[in-house]
Amino acid sequence: MNWAADSCAFFAAVQPLGQLALSHYLITSAALFAIGLIGFLSRRNMIIMFLCTELMFQAAAIAMIAFSRFHLDVSGQVFVIFILTVAAAEAALALGLVVLLYRRRETLNADVWSELRETPTP
Amino acid sequence: MTEAVQLSLGSGWLAAVDAARSVIAGPSWAGWILWLPLISLVLCGVCAALKIHTKLPAWITVGSLAISFVVIVALYMSYRQPMEIPLLDWFNLNWRSNDGQAGSFVAGFAFYVDKLTLLWMLFVTGLGTLIALYASEYMEPDVKRGYARFFAGISVFLFAMSCLVLADNLVMLYLGWEGVGFASYWLIGYYYTRPSAVAAAKKAFIVNRIGDLGLALGIWLIYYNFGTVEYANAQGTGLFQILASGSYKHEAGGWSIQAIPFLLMLGAFGKSAQIPLYVWLPDAMEGPTPVSALIHAATMVTAGVYLLARMLPVMELHPAALPTVAWIGGLTALLAATIGMAQYDIKRIWAYSTVSQLGFMFVGVGVLTTYGAAFHVFTHAFFKAVLFLTGGAVMHGFAGQLDIRKISGLRHMPGWQITAWTMLVGCLCLAGFPLSSGFFSKDEILAQVFAVHRPWLGFMLLFTALLTAYYTFRVWFRVCAGPVSYEMGEEHHGHGDDHHHGKADTGHKAPPRHAPPAHVAHQPHPPRFAINFVLVVITVGAIISTFSGSWVMDKVSHSSAAVLHAADSHEHHPGWVPWLAGTIAVAGIVVAWHFHLASRKSADALRARLLANPLTRWLPTAMENKWYVDEFYEWMIVTPLWIFAHALYLFDRYVIDLLFVDGVARLPKWMGRSFQPLQNGVLQSYAVLMAGGVGLAILLVVVLMPHLRPWLIGFFGGGG
Amino acid sequence: MADRLPMVDKLWFILPEVALFLGVVVIFIMGLSHSKRVRDMLPMITCLSLAVAFGLTWWVYEGSRGQTLLSVNPNLMLMPMVGKYVKMSACAIGIILAMVSVGSVDRRLEAAVAAGHLPFDPIRANRGEFYAFFLLSLMGVMLTCNANDLIWLFLALELTSLPTYIMVAISRPPRVAQEAAVKYFFLGAMATAIFLYGFALLYGSTGTMILTEMQRAFAAQAKADVVNSFGIIGMILAMLGICFKIAAAPMHFYAADVYEGAAAPVTAFLAFVPKTAGMVAIILLLTTLGWSGHPSTGLPEPIMTTLWMIAVLTMTLGNLGALLQRSVKRILAYSSIAHSGYMLIGVIAGPANNGINAVLFYLLVYGIMNTAAFAVLAALERRGQEIETMEDLAGLRIKHPGMAVVMAIASGSLLGVPPLLGFFAKLYLFIAGIQAGQIVLVVIAGLNTAISAWYYLGLVTLPIMAKPSAQSETIVRSPFPWPRIAGIVTAVAVVVLPLFLGPLIRASQAATTPASLTTGVTISK
Repeated sequence: MNWAADSCAFFAAVQPLGQLALSHYLITSAALFAIGLIGFLSRRNMIIMFLCTELMFQAAAIAMIAFSRFHLDVSGQVFVIFILTVAAAEAALALGLVVLLYRRRETLNADVWSELRETPTP
Repeated sequence: MTEAVQLSLGSGWLAAVDAARSVIAGPSWAGWILWLPLISLVLCGVCAALKIHTKLPAWITVGSLAISFVVIVALYMSYRQPMEIPLLDWFNLNWRSNDGQAGSFVAGFAFYVDKLTLLWMLFVTGLGTLIALYASEYMEPDVKRGYARFFAGISVFLFAMSCLVLADNLVMLYLGWEGVGFASYWLIGYYYTRPSAVAAAKKAFIVNRIGDLGLALGIWLIYYNFGTVEYANAQGTGLFQILASGSYKHEAGGWSIQAIPFLLMLGAFGKSAQIPLYVWLPDAMEGPTPVSALIHAATMVTAGVYLLARMLPVMELHPAALPTVAWIGGLTALLAATIGMAQYDIKRIWAYSTVSQLGFMFVGVGVLTTYGAAFHVFTHAFFKAVLFLTGGAVMHGFAGQLDIRKISGLRHMPGWQITAWTMLVGCLCLAGFPLSSGFFSKDEILAQVFAVHRPWLGFMLLFTALLTAYYTFRVWFRVCAGPVSYEMGEEHHGHGDDHHHGKADTGHKAPPRHAPPAHVAHQPHPPRFAINFVLVVITVGAIISTFSGSWVMDKVSHSSAAVLHAADSHEHHPGWVPWLAGTIAVAGIVVAWHFHLASRKSADALRARLLANPLTRWLPTAMENKWYVDEFYEWMIVTPLWIFAHALYLFDRYVIDLLFVDGVARLPKWMGRSFQPLQNGVLQSYAVLMAGGVGLAILLVVVLMPHLRPWLIGFFGGGG
Repeated sequence: MADRLPMVDKLWFILPEVALFLGVVVIFIMGLSHSKRVRDMLPMITCLSLAVAFGLTWWVYEGSRGQTLLSVNPNLMLMPMVGKYVKMSACAIGIILAMVSVGSVDRRLEAAVAAGHLPFDPIRANRGEFYAFFLLSLMGVMLTCNANDLIWLFLALELTSLPTYIMVAISRPPRVAQEAAVKYFFLGAMATAIFLYGFALLYGSTGTMILTEMQRAFAAQAKADVVNSFGIIGMILAMLGICFKIAAAPMHFYAADVYEGAAAPVTAFLAFVPKTAGMVAIILLLTTLGWSGHPSTGLPEPIMTTLWMIAVLTMTLGNLGALLQRSVKRILAYSSIAHSGYMLIGVIAGPANNGINAVLFYLLVYGIMNTAAFAVLAALERRGQEIETMEDLAGLRIKHPGMAVVMAIASGSLLGVPPLLGFFAKLYLFIAGIQAGQIVLVVIAGLNTAISAWYYLGLVTLPIMAKPSAQSETIVRSPFPWPRIAGIVTAVAVVVLPLFLGPLIRASQAATTPASLTTGVTISK
């Protein structure tokens, strides 16, 4: 179970234009997660940032579905439904928060909210 | 090295078996020894909350401590054999781990009472009561301020000290150990408006933490190796019982066993102010004088001696442990005595002499005369309490004056006779004047040192004894004898200013003091009843303790601290030692008489000039002054030691303080500051750090994974 | 098999949560009432439903039905009895927290309504929501203990966290509260995504969502020597994601800012409730690995290495950060981080060395002493504003002797001064660490405790000993007595509970007896 060998075998399974395998889905999901994370770290607009967290959630969901199919076990797909639900709840919360913040500062830039910080001590 | 140690490997343990086999259940009313100080603490707190500005807290404390002393006496009277007194169910854990091994961790809130315990408790509570009574008068200027706080601190101290001494297991001992440290912190910092007091309190706390860490690790290693922290129990699985039966698989080669004595030693050195951790004790004199007498001279600082005496069977786990204790004790004794010679502040002199005498006690433990050590603890507790309390009386009466150059002829002043003569008794004892209590107890240690063939250590201690006699009587001849003259201290308590007691030199920069003339008393006021009464009682105690040798020996030899062969080796004690020691004490006193009573003026003049310009002491012109010929001798003898002492003092002040105390304070702050930019308040930079941390963790594990393969196989069972 | 059990039986153990939920509904509705008297009853209803849940928990677990269910079906939960201990402590501390929070939300609005400046408008009132979310979050903690399923675990953790985001935002009017909410929410969402991805990988590795089966799957993989890397990476991702909830490095950066921004009662809540949920979740996840992977601690090496680094970093960064602060809340925030680090020692030590019950005990103790410290902050104010800096505490004994003593006791206990409760909790953790052979880790923790003495001693001595500063002269009691009462109750508990250490520790041990830990298959070594 050497990790290196493991991953070599893993990537070897990815054949160009071949049959769709588990690995394709996992790579898609990892890519989606990475895109979401990078977006979250680089964008300053709070709505975009929130959407990026949604991307990360959906990346996990894709991995779940792929594994669910792979293991022939439905619980992964059930989990996805719950992820969607929680994501919706978070969306409601996020939008409420964003509206509140926008009213206060008239901007969606996350950087303006940096009053709470370490005060440098001499 | 050590026939003594080897001897004890057989006999010391036998004694422990003897003590441990016959543990009986003791009377439960003994619990009041602990509960009374606790009640007094609560009542003092109530007094503070209700803003009762009378002496009520003092009477509550004195009363409850007196009752707990009576309880101890009753326990002593009814004592037949070692007792176990369970009070509360505390830690009582049993488990069976995955591999089927049973384990347990039992540490009840319970007393283990043998004769050593009783000896210690008798003088702890007895002196505690008397000194609390003394403090009721001494602290009276503070009745409207910290009076209740002070007595609450005394109650905490007595509670914690009783926990420490009465504990039947090491966890409870540790509880008391930390507790007395906390009480000491509380009381040293009593004058919290004075930065030097706060600094001293912090220093004491922090230096003690180093020792405490050692003790804590030692206790854990004891548990780790022996599976118990109890001294003895009914099932026969207590620490002493295991050690006595030798049933701990004889893994004595393992470092984790051999380290135990050294870790315990570190704890003892911290609490009892030995090299290298002695630095906190002199500064601790910032506290009120009764605290110095009770905690930093008579009782708390002997906790280290108690620990080593109690754990004597454990100390024998490594052959080099006890010799190390002896040498560290001897070196501390010498070092502190040399420093004490160069001080002018009475309390500081007594503080260094306490460090020095504690060194003697450690030598006693180290050369396996736990009897001698305990005897010296016992006599020292009395005479050092007398010395501190007389010093406190002077300070109280002279508005904080403690400089021995500024008070003279106390015994000729009206109302000061009791102070002067009780101080003389204390000085005689400390100096080891023939047939005084200090003479006998010190001799017991010295004789044993020569009996186990450690002549170098022995001569070093004899030299220390000479210095001790000299600096002790330097104080007495300066302050009590000679013509009457005095300068009042700069401060006077009780007139609403927060600076209470002056002190000459604390090693810390005190803020400029503003003492309005109206506040300065011009007339000394001699001590009144409470102080005089306590002084007389403790002095009588110090005299009586002269004859307590065989009594103390009976206590020690029926406890885990017993060293059976010590009684035998008594016969090998060289007969010349007491004669030599007595002569040396007298010689020291004579030297002190010569320089500090007979030709005091020239000594003062020279000293003043030398101090005015430090360079002059190196110049021959100073020596050529035949005028100062008497001082020349002193210069020849004393100056090298004086320089040595001052070098050490400066080392203490600038290197130890800066490097360890301040440096230790700065390093974490500096590190903290270097992490500060990370917390810049920007949401996304936090996100980057978090994601980076996660990425790093994954990367580390993934990169490490091939190297971790053997462990993984271990984890997953390696295919069954 | 767990699956064969009737649904009703599965739900038996969440009866206390159902009781809380009823309370939530009642509170939501009552919060909208136009009558001030009804609105003022909200904290009382909160405490009442928590008390009911407390009693129900006892009954549900100790009653004959619960006992039968557990004995008939050992696969019902991974650690069935952990629920009893954690739920009861969560309810007890929840009651105290509710007392602390009296008067913190909607103060200005209520005052305006009472003075007749404003008509009461249910849309602008937050109190009902606050207490409802308060209970919902506690419900999340309690549900976490019952999780035997990644889905359940995820939902319970989210139920714990989502209400706290709102609580931070509505806790007080100043802008900093909203800033705290935005940081907390966004970073929390990111952490959730991370542990969710970890869950996905765990699922991929074992092919099951059910924790007890997962334990079996890991054991089977071990037997066949076909471990796939998904398991380990998934576990690490899940752990790190959950580290956000316990404020452990590297996910701790939000803590100082958020704790400072939120109102003191909410900060006290944040320092206890999500931390408990996160700790229980981490323990449950690690239990699926079987606790037999390492001769002394029970964790496989990569996991242990990660946890070790997290623990050391967490306690060190927490204590170093606290050294430089002037704001009391920031100090307590960093100390909260440091305490998570100490608790991870117990997790590393594992159940064989009494580590897990040490963690559970520490959580309870930490909840008590930390709440005491925050109760002081909530009980005092200056012109309706919270007190902030150390200078505000200086010389508190003159005007507020009770609160000064409470602060001193709480900080002494947080430092671990011997006769107080915190000392024993820490001792218990360190004993577990030593027993597991983690000497180095315990020594580092000891050094950290020494560093922490610097700032805790400041908190002990400033209120008791220092002279009152110009700032502290203007401090008055808040008009509500309940935070004060909560502070005194917790301080008394810190002093008195050490005498009942035996029963408390035995209770925590019963929560994690090896029998309940080894309900699954024990992996042979």
